[in-house]
Formats: sequence, structure tokens, C-alpha cells
Amino acid sequence: MSEETTAVKKIFPPDRSLYTPFNVVIGAILILGVILSILRFTGGLATVTNLDHNYPWGLWIGFDLMAGVALAAGGYTTSAAVYIFGLKRYHSAVRPAILTGFLGYALVVVSLTYDVGRPWRLPFPFLVQQGTTSLLFEVAACVGLYLTVLFLESTPAALEWLGLKKLRNIVTKLTLVLTIFGVVLSTLHQSSLGALFLIAPGKLHPLWYSGYIPVYFFVSSIFAGLSMVILESNLSHKYFKDKMDETHLKEHDRVTLGFAKGASFVMAGYVIIKIIGISVANQWALLFTPYGAWFLVELLGFVALPCFLYAVGVRDQNLKLIRRTSIIAVIGVALNRLNVCLIAFNWYLPLSERYFPHIGEIGLTIFMVTIGILVFRFIVTRMPVLYEHPEYESH
Amino acid sequence: MESSFHTLHEFMLFTESMTYIIIVAALLGIVAFWRFLNGSDRKKDLGMDEGEE
Repeated sequence: MSEETTAVKKIFPPDRSLYTPFNVVIGAILILGVILSILRFTGGLATVTNLDHNYPWGLWIGFDLMAGVALAAGGYTTSAAVYIFGLKRYHSAVRPAILTGFLGYALVVVSLTYDVGRPWRLPFPFLVQQGTTSLLFEVAACVGLYLTVLFLESTPAALEWLGLKKLRNIVTKLTLVLTIFGVVLSTLHQSSLGALFLIAPGKLHPLWYSGYIPVYFFVSSIFAGLSMVILESNLSHKYFKDKMDETHLKEHDRVTLGFAKGASFVMAGYVIIKIIGISVANQWALLFTPYGAWFLVELLGFVALPCFLYAVGVRDQNLKLIRRTSIIAVIGVALNRLNVCLIAFNWYLPLSERYFPHIGEIGLTIFMVTIGILVFRFIVTRMPVLYEHPEYESH
Repeated sequence: MESSFHTLHEFMLFTESMTYIIIVAALLGIVAFWRFLNGSDRKKDLGMDEGEE
């Protein structure tokens, strides 16, 4: 059998049917996504979005970018825990977390090409006008560099799969440097995404606006990443159990408990600094308004509650509770980003002038998430992500 | 919590006082929460885990 035939069989194993319910649904979403993409790039933003001068940032920034970046934080939190803080018992969680992070950031960049009016100008901050005083420049630089770091960190699995030992060994030697670089870059851009809103004190509702918003974004990214690792690990355990080796299966529960403990403690700290933020600005009275009620739903229902449930789950070693809680925590972080970007933004405008996403924006967001799931599935079913390649020792 | 302030000093005095009280409560609360969170570890250390309680 020729090498080319073997490679094709590796990518598309012949024993799998293409006509499964999963593939049919995914296929329909992909077709719809391609049609919407054509409409976006031929008809412009107005064809598929409800963006206007009041809301130049819509669902694609609020969810795809802001929530996407926060939820992709599992990459830096996990690799920092294992390689910097020496918690080697969580080593099996590193590769899936890095992969999720890499795909998350890659899709953020793809979403940006849809959202930016003239996407071919995306490299301009680096090549034409540096605009180094702009926070967006810092975000662009950090996201670009961190995407490269995540790509390099995720290559060992692909290189092992392709049998490129020498190259794999070179990349593996860079692990610690890449981890440190990743943590520094993440700290910078996770907080800078929040700092972008410092320029709009009159537009963002006072309960969400704060001088501490960069800190809020950074701290929330930590428990977002940890919760996402728990959720992703749980889903992988459910759907790709046959791809997991003994070590991965054995460490699965320990990863869930350890990450839940970390997330719970960070969430407690987050609730405290949010309350301090209200106190410093003396915004107590606003808590008794409709927006205040919504703020409390976000803070108590989607941060304080999962914080407590994680703690109970850790104490009682209740893995089921922890897994369910991770869903609430992930939704909570996405809700926070949507609140800051859309719901509490331009809060004083009458309802008729408020933004609601166009069906095209929702469709393309589903398209992006679907691509992420598909690529993740493609990689973990073929490459040594959920198991260790027998020819390579653990690094 | 409706308060009217006539000077910046009054505002700062009120908000800073409130914040300091919250910080002290938070510091005590976080220690209690840490102990609650590590309850299972303490049980293990005392050999009370897995049906030994």
C-alpha cells in the first residue's frame, strides 16, 4: 500500500459511515454557514447583521470573541498549573485543554474576519500603522502571538501522529518557555479585553462599568478556563472514552475535583472584588433597579451559586454535581461578556433602538461553534490527545 | 443605601469606610470558605473518609 493511500485512510477511516444523525445535522449547519458566509462577503455586513452606529460590536464580538477568549483560557490555566506550579497529576488534561484553547482562539480570528468591515486590513496594526497607544493594538498583538504559542504547544500531538520524531522533540523542549509566554500574553490580553470598555463610561451601565473591569475580566477568565476544562473533559469522557488510555481514565476524576476546587476559590474571590467594586463607586442603590436585578442574577446565580456548588461537590466528592455546575459556570461567563458588550451597553437607549442579533449573526455563530466541535472531534479521534503515544515518553 | 454627599470628602469617607468593612468581612469569610472547601481533605487526614465517619 502506498504512503499516500495510508495517509488518506488515516484521515478518512473507511469503516465509518458518513450518514449518521450527527453528520446530517452538522452538514446542514455547514451548508447554511457557507451560504451566510457568501452573503456576508458579497453583500457586506448589513446583509447578515443588525450592527449600526450605536452597536458597532454585536454578537460576533460579544460571544465569539469576548466569551470565546475567556472560555479558551483553559489552555493557559492548565499548562501553568502543570508546568509552572508543578501539579503533574493534572498532566493528562494539558493536551485537550491546549487543543480547546487553540481552536477557540483560531475561531476568534476567523470570526474577526467576518466582523471587521475590511478584513484584509487585519494585519494593518502591525504593518502599516502601529497605533501602539491603542488597547486594541495590544489585544491584536497578544491574540496573534498567543495563537502562535497555542499552535506550537498543540503541535506535538500532530507531529507524533505524523511520525516526525525530531521535530516533535524540538517543540517539546520549548514547553516551559511557551507556557511562560502563554501565561504572560493571556494575562495581558484577557485584562485588556475588559480595559477596552474603560473608554465608554457613559455607555456601559454603572453596575458593569468599573475602573477594575480589566481585573474582573482576567479573574473571570481563570475560572472560565477551569470550568471549560471540566466541561470538555466530561464531554470527552462521554463521547471519546474509547480513545482514552489508562492514565487518562485514572486521572479524569482527580482533574475534575482539583479544577473544581480551584475554580470555586477563584470564583469566591471574584464575587468579593465585584462587591468591592460596587462599594467603591457607591452603586448600592442601583441594585434595586431592573438592571440591578439582572446584575444580581449574573453575580449570584451564575457565579456565587456555581462557586458554592463546586465547593459542595469537592467536599462530597460528588463528580456529577461538579460536572453539572461547570455548565452553569460556563454559561455565566458567556452571560457576563454578553452583558458587558450588548445587554448593559447603551442601556439608556429606548427598546426600539436597542440591538438584537440578526438571524445571520446567530447562524454564523452556530457555524463557528460547529466548526470548532468538528475540528476537535477530527483531531482527538486521530491524534494522541486523549492518550499518550506509545513511542513517546511523558514529558 | 441612598446617601447624599455635599463634598468629595463625605463621599470618600462613606465609600472607603464601607469598603474597609467589606474587606475585613471578606478576609474572614474567605478563610472560612477555604476551610469549608478543604473539608474532604481534612476528613481524609483524620482517616474519616469512605465510610469511616
